[in-house]
Amino acid sequence: MTNGGHIREEDLQLLALGALPEEEYAAARTHAAGCAECAAKLAEERGRAAMLALAVTQEKPAATIKAELFARIRAEREAEERYRWPTKSAVEETAKTPSAERPAADGKIGWWTWVLAPVAAVLLVATVVEWRENQRLTTELESTNHQLVEMVNERQRTEMLVDLLSAPDTQSVKLAGTPEAEKAWGMVRYNPRKGAVLYTAVLPTLPADKIYQMWLVPAKGAPISAGVFAPGAHGTRQLWTAEVPMNLEVKAFAVTIEPAGGVPQPTGPKVLVGAV
Amino acid sequence: MRPEGTTGELVSDWSLLERVVRKDESALSALYDRYSGLVFSEAKRILRDTGAAEEILQDLFYQIWKTAERFDAARGSLAGWLLVAARNRAISRLRRKTGKTEELDENGVSLKIDLESTVAQSLLLDKVRTVMGSLPEGQRQALEFAYFEGMSHTEIAEKTGQPLGTVKTRIRSAMETLKQVLS
Repeated sequence: MTNGGHIREEDLQLLALGALPEEEYAAARTHAAGCAECAAKLAEERGRAAMLALAVTQEKPAATIKAELFARIRAEREAEERYRWPTKSAVEETAKTPSAERPAADGKIGWWTWVLAPVAAVLLVATVVEWRENQRLTTELESTNHQLVEMVNERQRTEMLVDLLSAPDTQSVKLAGTPEAEKAWGMVRYNPRKGAVLYTAVLPTLPADKIYQMWLVPAKGAPISAGVFAPGAHGTRQLWTAEVPMNLEVKAFAVTIEPAGGVPQPTGPKVLVGAV
Repeated sequence: MRPEGTTGELVSDWSLLERVVRKDESALSALYDRYSGLVFSEAKRILRDTGAAEEILQDLFYQIWKTAERFDAARGSLAGWLLVAARNRAISRLRRKTGKTEELDENGVSLKIDLESTVAQSLLLDKVRTVMGSLPEGQRQALEFAYFEGMSHTEIAEKTGQPLGTVKTRIRSAMETLKQVLS
């Protein structure tokens, strides 16, 4: 690398091109930073190497690039001028000019302070009020968004119900109570093409740790859950919907009493059954 | 907006730069018109990406606008600095892609060649292209790998399958030829 303590000329050329390996590059740069002679030679090599840029096909940049550059500069200048703090010279200039608007040099408070202080206080209060109003509006907006999402969901559910009930291939299955719940009854609407189930049931209220679970019993294989449900107060009619695998050959529906949260396969007593 | 003075004579880069220090937009515009083509073409050749080259071009002239007072005539040429800075920034982008992180130095560029007029630029463009066209293939290739691809001599040796010493000699010979023609 060195030649009598200096960078060798061939290495200066490589250094100017950035073509020295990383470790040699760092060492040569460090040397050049402290050696005026090598720094001058390096600057010359850099200038010469830069001429290689002229070997490429020349193209003009799009006119929009210059326009953007100057738009950026002007926007920044305008912003600087708008928000500029008084410079020291401006402050000194102001100090030289006797003015009724300047604070009294004897330390007394100028008349404008009595005007500005209440204005500042009003601005502060207005800011707090505005901030609170923003908070309130944000909360309101979130609540409205939530309601909107619910409405959309409800609408989609209603459309699904109408679609299911009006489809000619939707099957209706009546569910009858078993000895476990003799007075219970229910109705299932099932469309295998859509893989959709709609049902209602009148059943006794269960303890908090239990829940009803609807099952599709296919012609082949294990029962498939169509969701858990909890009827409300006696006499209240509710509808539940569920999505199940499409094109199943179902031979029956059944409702069982299961632990709260439901189970993958029926474990509790049947309370409603109905054959397709 | 004219790079020439009122009597038609060419205004030097340093005169324009002094006006940029005083926030004269027309002076920056004149410098931009003078060098944007060179800077853009170089960055685009290295990156092969018009958008990235435009970004480098804009950033460099924005830097001139913001820090014109830091440019020191004693430390070198503005044209030289622009070409070296454009190349270094483009190579840095290439290196980031390949995981190499070392930064190239763009301080101190001495250029004793006039690039301020369109005529001078045009003459020099012809000269450099002629030199590059006349170099033996191995020398030209080694120089292009180093300058436009940002490859070190060891990387060039690996890529071309040539011994390290040969690569160094080729680069040096090519640079010597360039030196003779430009002087």
